[in-house]
Amino acid sequence: MKINTRKYGELTIDEDRILHMPKGLPGFPGLDRFALLEDPKTAPFCWFQSVEEPDISLVVMNPFLFKPDYRIEQLDGLMSEMGWNDVKTEQLVIYVVVNISGSGESRKITANLIGPLVINPNTKEAVQVVMSDSDYSHQHNVLAPS
Amino acid sequence: MLVLTRKAGEKIRIGNDIVLSVLEVDGGTVKMGIDAPRDVDILRMEVFEKIQRENIEAASRPFEEISEALDIVKKKLPKE
Repeated sequence: MKINTRKYGELTIDEDRILHMPKGLPGFPGLDRFALLEDPKTAPFCWFQSVEEPDISLVVMNPFLFKPDYRIEQLDGLMSEMGWNDVKTEQLVIYVVVNISGSGESRKITANLIGPLVINPNTKEAVQVVMSDSDYSHQHNVLAPS
Repeated sequence: MLVLTRKAGEKIRIGNDIVLSVLEVDGGTVKMGIDAPRDVDILRMEVFEKIQRENIEAASRPFEEISEALDIVKKKLPKE
Protein backbone atom coordinates (compact mmCIF):
# COMPACT_ATOMS: atom_id res chain seq x y z
CA MET A 1 0.00 0.00 0.00
CA LYS A 2 1.04 3.63 -0.44
CA ILE A 3 1.71 5.83 2.58
CA ASN A 4 2.85 9.42 2.80
CA THR A 5 5.83 9.96 5.05
CA ARG A 6 7.50 13.00 6.57
CA LYS A 7 11.00 12.08 5.49
CA TYR A 8 10.59 10.06 2.32
CA GLY A 9 7.41 11.44 0.73
CA GLU A 10 5.20 8.76 -0.77
CA LEU A 11 6.36 5.20 -0.09
CA THR A 12 4.95 1.85 -1.05
CA ILE A 13 5.12 -0.62 1.79
CA ASP A 14 3.71 -4.07 2.41
CA GLU A 15 0.42 -4.11 4.25
CA ASP A 16 1.92 -6.49 6.81
CA ARG A 17 4.41 -3.85 7.90
CA ILE A 18 1.65 -1.68 9.31
CA LEU A 19 1.60 -1.80 13.09
CA HIS A 20 -1.58 -1.33 15.05
CA MET A 21 -1.39 0.49 18.39
CA PRO A 22 -4.50 -0.63 20.28
CA LYS A 23 -3.74 1.76 23.14
CA GLY A 24 -2.73 4.62 20.88
CA LEU A 25 0.39 6.77 21.18
CA PRO A 26 0.52 9.39 23.97
CA GLY A 27 0.51 12.86 22.45
CA PHE A 28 -1.23 11.77 19.28
CA PRO A 29 -4.81 10.84 20.10
CA GLY A 30 -6.70 9.21 17.27
CA LEU A 31 -3.62 7.86 15.51
CA ASP A 32 -3.21 4.11 15.87
CA ARG A 33 -1.49 2.85 12.73
CA PHE A 34 2.24 3.25 12.32
CA ALA A 35 5.08 1.85 10.26
CA LEU A 36 8.64 1.39 11.43
CA LEU A 37 10.85 2.71 8.65
CA GLU A 38 14.44 1.52 8.71
CA ASP A 39 17.01 3.15 6.47
CA PRO A 40 20.68 2.10 6.33
CA LYS A 41 21.54 5.77 5.72
CA THR A 42 19.99 6.90 9.01
CA ALA A 43 20.81 3.80 11.12
CA PRO A 44 20.79 3.49 14.09
CA PHE A 45 17.96 6.02 13.90
CA CYS A 46 14.68 4.68 12.57
CA TRP A 47 11.38 6.40 11.93
CA PHE A 48 8.11 5.55 13.63
CA GLN A 49 5.85 6.95 10.96
CA SER A 50 2.12 7.52 11.32
CA VAL A 51 0.21 5.96 8.45
CA GLU A 52 -2.68 8.36 8.96
CA GLU A 53 -0.75 11.59 9.46
CA PRO A 54 2.28 12.08 7.16
CA ASP A 55 3.82 14.84 9.31
CA ILE A 56 4.05 12.63 12.39
CA SER A 57 7.28 10.64 12.34
CA LEU A 58 9.15 9.97 15.58
CA VAL A 59 12.87 9.29 15.68
CA VAL A 60 13.42 5.98 17.46
CA MET A 61 16.33 3.64 18.03
CA ASN A 62 17.34 0.31 19.51
CA PRO A 63 18.09 1.03 23.21
CA PHE A 64 20.44 -1.93 23.60
CA LEU A 65 23.01 -0.19 21.41
CA PHE A 66 23.74 2.32 24.15
CA LYS A 67 22.21 0.55 27.17
CA PRO A 68 22.91 -3.18 26.82
CA ASP A 69 21.41 -3.97 30.23
CA TYR A 70 18.12 -2.13 29.57
CA ARG A 71 15.19 -3.97 31.10
CA ILE A 72 11.43 -3.52 30.92
CA GLU A 73 9.99 -5.01 34.09
CA GLN A 74 6.39 -5.10 32.91
CA LEU A 75 6.88 -7.26 29.80
CA ASP A 76 5.21 -10.38 31.23
CA GLY A 77 2.24 -8.35 32.46
CA LEU A 78 1.97 -6.60 29.12
CA MET A 79 2.00 -9.87 27.21
CA SER A 80 -0.81 -11.38 29.25
CA GLU A 81 -2.82 -8.16 29.16
CA MET A 82 -2.48 -7.95 25.36
CA GLY A 83 -3.15 -11.66 24.90
CA TRP A 84 0.26 -12.09 23.26
CA ASN A 85 0.43 -15.82 23.96
CA ASP A 86 2.07 -16.78 20.69
CA VAL A 87 5.26 -14.85 21.23
CA LYS A 88 8.31 -15.16 23.48
CA THR A 89 9.68 -12.16 25.35
CA GLU A 90 12.90 -12.27 23.35
CA GLN A 91 10.98 -12.04 20.07
CA LEU A 92 9.47 -8.68 21.00
CA VAL A 93 11.11 -5.76 19.25
CA ILE A 94 12.00 -2.80 21.46
CA TYR A 95 12.59 0.78 20.40
CA VAL A 96 12.91 4.00 22.37
CA VAL A 97 11.99 7.53 21.36
CA VAL A 98 14.99 9.77 20.65
CA ASN A 99 15.18 13.51 21.19
CA ILE A 100 17.70 16.15 20.30
CA SER A 101 18.10 19.41 22.15
CA GLY A 102 20.56 22.30 22.32
CA SER A 103 23.08 23.04 19.63
CA GLY A 104 26.82 23.01 19.00
CA GLU A 105 28.82 21.92 22.05
CA SER A 106 25.75 21.69 24.23
CA ARG A 107 23.87 19.42 21.85
CA LYS A 108 22.17 16.60 23.70
CA ILE A 109 20.82 13.38 22.31
CA THR A 110 18.49 11.68 24.71
CA ALA A 111 16.27 8.64 24.73
CA ASN A 112 13.08 8.12 26.68
CA LEU A 113 13.74 4.96 28.67
CA ILE A 114 10.48 5.14 30.65
CA GLY A 115 8.27 4.87 27.55
CA PRO A 116 9.65 2.12 25.30
CA LEU A 117 7.80 1.03 22.19
CA VAL A 118 7.24 -2.70 22.34
CA ILE A 119 6.37 -4.37 19.04
CA ASN A 120 4.95 -7.85 18.66
CA PRO A 121 6.09 -8.91 15.18
CA ASN A 122 3.60 -11.79 15.09
CA THR A 123 0.42 -9.82 15.73
CA LYS A 124 1.79 -6.56 14.23
CA GLU A 125 0.78 -4.71 17.35
CA ALA A 126 2.78 -2.06 19.19
CA VAL A 127 2.37 -0.60 22.67
CA GLN A 128 4.19 2.26 24.30
CA VAL A 129 4.80 0.95 27.80
CA VAL A 130 4.68 3.51 30.59
CA MET A 131 7.22 2.65 33.29
CA SER A 132 5.83 4.54 36.28
CA ASP A 133 8.12 3.36 39.03
CA SER A 134 11.35 3.02 37.17
CA ASP A 135 14.76 4.50 37.93
CA TYR A 136 15.29 5.15 34.22
CA SER A 137 15.11 8.66 32.83
CA HIS A 138 12.83 10.02 30.13
CA GLN A 139 15.89 11.94 28.92
CA HIS A 140 18.69 9.40 29.13
CA ASN A 141 21.91 10.63 27.53
CA VAL A 142 22.52 8.29 24.59
CA LEU A 143 26.20 9.22 24.45
CA ALA A 144 26.95 8.59 28.13
CA PRO A 145 29.02 5.49 28.85
CA SER A 146 26.56 2.82 30.01
CA MET B 1 -14.94 18.58 36.43
CA LEU B 2 -16.95 16.88 39.15
CA VAL B 3 -15.57 17.73 42.59
CA LEU B 4 -16.31 15.51 45.59
CA THR B 5 -15.05 15.85 49.14
CA ARG B 6 -14.07 12.59 50.85
CA LYS B 7 -12.51 11.61 54.16
CA ALA B 8 -9.95 8.90 54.86
CA GLY B 9 -11.67 5.52 54.65
CA GLU B 10 -14.30 6.74 52.18
CA LYS B 11 -14.61 5.61 48.59
CA ILE B 12 -15.78 6.72 45.19
CA ARG B 13 -17.23 4.36 42.62
CA ILE B 14 -16.63 5.15 38.94
CA GLY B 15 -18.76 3.19 36.50
CA ASN B 16 -19.33 -0.48 37.25
CA ASP B 17 -15.87 -1.67 37.98
CA ILE B 18 -13.65 1.09 39.32
CA VAL B 19 -13.47 2.02 43.01
CA LEU B 20 -11.19 4.74 44.37
CA SER B 21 -10.45 4.62 48.10
CA VAL B 22 -8.93 7.38 50.16
CA LEU B 23 -6.67 5.35 52.46
CA GLU B 24 -4.83 8.04 54.36
CA VAL B 25 -4.58 11.80 54.46
CA ASP B 26 -1.43 13.25 55.97
CA GLY B 27 -0.65 16.92 55.55
CA GLY B 28 -0.56 17.59 51.82
CA THR B 29 -0.33 13.93 50.88
CA VAL B 30 -3.25 11.65 50.06
CA LYS B 31 -2.73 7.90 49.83
CA MET B 32 -5.21 6.32 47.43
CA GLY B 33 -6.20 2.79 46.60
CA ILE B 34 -7.60 1.93 43.19
CA ASP B 35 -9.55 -1.17 42.25
CA ALA B 36 -9.95 -1.47 38.51
CA PRO B 37 -9.94 -4.15 35.81
CA ARG B 38 -6.48 -5.16 34.58
CA ASP B 39 -6.96 -3.61 31.16
CA VAL B 40 -7.47 -0.15 32.64
CA ASP B 41 -4.14 1.70 32.61
CA ILE B 42 -3.51 3.58 35.84
CA LEU B 43 -0.63 6.01 35.69
CA ARG B 44 0.81 8.88 37.61
CA MET B 45 -0.20 11.80 35.42
CA GLU B 46 3.24 13.42 35.42
CA VAL B 47 4.86 10.26 34.04
CA PHE B 48 2.31 10.09 31.25
CA GLU B 49 2.86 13.77 30.48
CA LYS B 50 6.63 13.28 30.22
CA ILE B 51 6.14 10.51 27.69
CA GLN B 52 3.61 12.57 25.79
CA ARG B 53 6.03 15.51 25.63
CA GLU B 54 8.96 13.37 24.48
CA ASN B 55 6.79 11.86 21.72
CA ILE B 56 5.62 15.22 20.45
CA GLU B 57 9.17 16.61 20.53
CA ALA B 58 10.60 13.57 18.76
CA ALA B 59 8.09 13.95 15.94
CA SER B 60 8.98 17.53 15.19
CA ARG B 61 12.79 17.82 15.11
CA PRO B 62 14.09 19.47 11.93
CA PHE B 63 15.85 16.97 9.63
CA GLU B 64 19.04 19.02 9.71
CA GLU B 65 19.25 18.60 13.48
CA ILE B 66 18.51 14.90 13.21
CA SER B 67 21.27 14.33 10.69
CA GLU B 68 23.79 16.25 12.81
CA ALA B 69 22.80 14.15 15.81
CA LEU B 70 23.08 11.04 13.65
CA ASP B 71 26.69 11.86 12.77
CA ILE B 72 27.54 12.18 16.46
CA VAL B 73 25.77 8.94 17.37
CA LYS B 74 27.39 7.01 14.51
CA LYS B 75 30.84 8.05 15.70
CA LYS B 76 30.24 7.09 19.30
CA LEU B 77 28.15 3.96 19.15
CA PRO B 78 29.04 0.51 17.87
CA LYS B 79 27.40 -0.50 14.60
CA GLU B 80 24.17 -2.50 14.79
